[in-house]
Amino acid sequence: MKKQKSAVDTVWSFVLAVASVLYMYPIVMILFNSFKQERAISTGTAFQLPTAETFAGIEHYINAVNSKGFLQSLGYSFLITITSVGAILLFCSMCSWYITRVKGFVSNGLYMLFAFSMVVPFQMVMFTLSQTADQLKLNKPWNIWIIYLGFGAGLATFMFAGFMKSIPLEVEEASMIDGCSPLQTYFMIVMPMLKPTMVSVGILEAMWVWNDYLLPTLVLDIKKYKTIPMLIQYFRGSYGRVEMGPMMACIMLTIIPIVIIYLLGQKHIIKGVAAGAVKG
Amino acid sequence: MASISFKNVRKTYDNGVEVVKGFHLDVADKEFIVLVGASGCGKSTTLRMIAGLEDITSGELWIGDKLVNNIPPKDRDIAMVFQSYALYPHMTVYDNMAFALKLAGESKAVIDEKVKEAAEILGLTPYLDRKPKALSGGQRQRVALGRAMVRKPAVFLLDEPLSNLDAKLRTEMRSQLAHLHKKLETTFVYVTHDQTEAMTLGTRIVVMNAGIIQQVDTPRNLYTKPVNKFVAGFIGSPTMNFSNALVAEKEDGLYLEFEGHSVKLNAEKTKALKDGGYVGKEVIFGIRPEDVYEDEDVVKAGLEEKRVIEAEVDMYELLGSDVILYYYVGENKFTAIVNPATPTRTGDTTHFAFDVDRMHIFDKDTEVTICH
Ligand SMILES: Nc1ncnc2c1ncn2[C@@H]1O[C@H](COP(=O)(O)OP(=O)(O)OP(=O)(O)O)[C@@H](O)[C@H]1O
Ligand SMILES: [Mg+2]
Repeated sequence: MKKQKSAVDTVWSFVLAVASVLYMYPIVMILFNSFKQERAISTGTAFQLPTAETFAGIEHYINAVNSKGFLQSLGYSFLITITSVGAILLFCSMCSWYITRVKGFVSNGLYMLFAFSMVVPFQMVMFTLSQTADQLKLNKPWNIWIIYLGFGAGLATFMFAGFMKSIPLEVEEASMIDGCSPLQTYFMIVMPMLKPTMVSVGILEAMWVWNDYLLPTLVLDIKKYKTIPMLIQYFRGSYGRVEMGPMMACIMLTIIPIVIIYLLGQKHIIKGVAAGAVKG
Repeated sequence: MASISFKNVRKTYDNGVEVVKGFHLDVADKEFIVLVGASGCGKSTTLRMIAGLEDITSGELWIGDKLVNNIPPKDRDIAMVFQSYALYPHMTVYDNMAFALKLAGESKAVIDEKVKEAAEILGLTPYLDRKPKALSGGQRQRVALGRAMVRKPAVFLLDEPLSNLDAKLRTEMRSQLAHLHKKLETTFVYVTHDQTEAMTLGTRIVVMNAGIIQQVDTPRNLYTKPVNKFVAGFIGSPTMNFSNALVAEKEDGLYLEFEGHSVKLNAEKTKALKDGGYVGKEVIFGIRPEDVYEDEDVVKAGLEEKRVIEAEVDMYELLGSDVILYYYVGENKFTAIVNPATPTRTGDTTHFAFDVDRMHIFDKDTEVTICH
């Protein structure tokens, strides 16, 4: 029995190792090439480590940061990601609180609607969306979060509601008896208990919004506002010349914030924050 | 400071089960009322209705001179200890206890004083900085108690607040609660399964069965004058002994005949049974184990020869200050609390006598008390 188990473990370790190599290899490739000189970046030598003659130092990184619009795009990306994720976390957690705690036709209907929105592919609605966004003037980096809220709400509400069900109701009742209004109960009791789910949802949504290319391209005025993924696209297309070096450096730079967010958040994703609240 | 009054209150849950059925109860201001009853009889539900956590299906609930049917919990001026504790898991013990005071806008100094005082009483001082998950069950329960104790509400609701404590701590907390009641002079509604708690703390006890109030009375009256067989069986430990018996009339008075035994009734009981028209009919009689005497004690107690029952002891149980003997009267398992010096052991045959004056007699069909 035990032997069997360790055999299964070995197989799993192998499969996961292969999978992680597959996942890592594009990133590693880009990392290598971002340190090579422009002329050394070619299909044939993509996997070679930079050598003494091809090593370009951090030249591409400097170019990337100095390139026109990089800092601006970084700012837009941060603005959009922070506002969108913030809105999603706040509104969706409140909404799922209502859905789980108030039983009835409305909350059931809402829940179904959110679940359904997850299965509708973005491509199906993107053209009508971009038009509606234009009409409503939701095409600025500072209000595009309303659109992200709509698209992110399904998953977030689903995850929050799932966790919310496991929070004992008595804790909220106790807070009401202690004199909390519903809003106070939410902010002082429910939200702190939701922290691990907040972190998980936050990371997922942040990765999606930060990396999203299609939605901002469709909605934002491309001449005025570019997010980082749009800017990377631009690197390749300018002057008819492919500036691979700075582009790869740029990609590496834009991965950093999301990795940091993940590493910071990871340790907060602990199970059972409600531990100790009730008997048993 | 408030009275509580239930006027025909009913509670039906969404699944259609009627859990509280036509509750009439007036709790006076400053009273310590204790709810007892078997598990699932609706005690917590009643408490939750007072708290406003559960809608009232029909009827009226008054706290003081306010009809509270539609008033949210936070405006009812109550404190509650939950059966499941319901601590705030993300707050320390100190913050758990201070939470209500903070919301009420008390000054830091006042909060600190009250919380520390409560922690001292509850023996929680070393744990003030811990989160609930790092506490034992009994410690958590004391935090739940402390959260209510620091406040000065109009009504205290306590749902089995001492159930998870060890015997010593429980006795200590019991007297602390009695103190608290005296000091705060507010109304307490207290749910418990513990007879001692009910008897010692309650100014009055409410005995419930399946959502219906059986009797509301002082602890003494519940013990000596139960209104029906349920209450008689519920109050007292070990529980009262019951057996069916025939009321037979002989030339020198009325006798209860059961399982080949026959005991003569006193004048008072004879009159009650005659007035009720029970002569020649079956009734149920009940006798508390403490009113059953063994062998030489029978003589000491001056009980007549005729009232003696012979039985084999099925089990001998030493409880320290008392001995409980188990024996059979016909099919019914009976108990007797006897002198711990008794030489009788399991398997011995001995004599028991019932103190007929303290016998309870119930109608066989309705189980209502005929006489005490
Ligand atoms: N939310 C609910 N929905 C449906 N039925 C419920 C609900 N809560 C309680 N009940 C039922 O109502 C009855 C009374 O429950 P309650 O919790 O008041 O019992 P209790 O007297 O406090 O019991 P215990 O001594 O075990 O705590 C039980 O039969 C229970 O199954
Ligand atoms: Mg209960």
